[in-house]
Amino acid sequence: MLVLTRRSNQSVMIGQDIVVTVLEIRGDQVRLGIRAPREVSVHREEVFAELGRANRLAAEVRSDDEALLPAPPPPRG
Amino acid sequence: MLVATERFGDLEVPDDRLLSFPQGLPGFPDARRFALVDGRDSGVFYWLQSVDDAALAFLCAVPWAFFPDYALDLADDEEAALGLSSADQAMVLSILTVHREEQRITANLLGPVVVNQVTRTGRQVVLGGADDLLQVPLPA
Repeated sequence: MLVLTRRSNQSVMIGQDIVVTVLEIRGDQVRLGIRAPREVSVHREEVFAELGRANRLAAEVRSDDEALLPAPPPPRG
Repeated sequence: MLVATERFGDLEVPDDRLLSFPQGLPGFPDARRFALVDGRDSGVFYWLQSVDDAALAFLCAVPWAFFPDYALDLADDEEAALGLSSADQAMVLSILTVHREEQRITANLLGPVVVNQVTRTGRQVVLGGADDLLQVPLPA
């Protein structure tokens, strides 16, 4: 892992078009600004862990749970 | 194809209902093949039944049936990964979670399942958005 020291308002570049800027440092929190092309998706690492947890919970569904489903509202129009 | 399932017994699934998820799903990286099975209210609820794991299934809903204003803006890399060239190629499903004790059902609007209906390849994508989209109650 590359380790760099940056101050507030300093940036690092990843390749030629991704810029990560340290916006603010407060206590143990860092606010980062990320500028990247649209085709690059940027997510907090935890999001994937959260999705995994949500999927495992959802997978506990039983076939008779369908009875609990609400009727879909009529389409607006 | 005959698919053995814990919830529904053996299901005969036509080939055009067999979906491939090359990356699996978060939490289930090995679940790469699913059968799309009609659920209640045709066209609204579906089951995604794992072909390889009889015990694994997800109850899903077409999100716009309940959330007509739901906007889904796929990042270009997600579109490319799915090989989508137009919006009507895509089928979108939200995985539902049944909170049985609370008699409450929530939809995962943060990570919808997007299927390219032409290639029958799917992927659970992550939308930019607030964490509270992870468990949105279905309006009763």
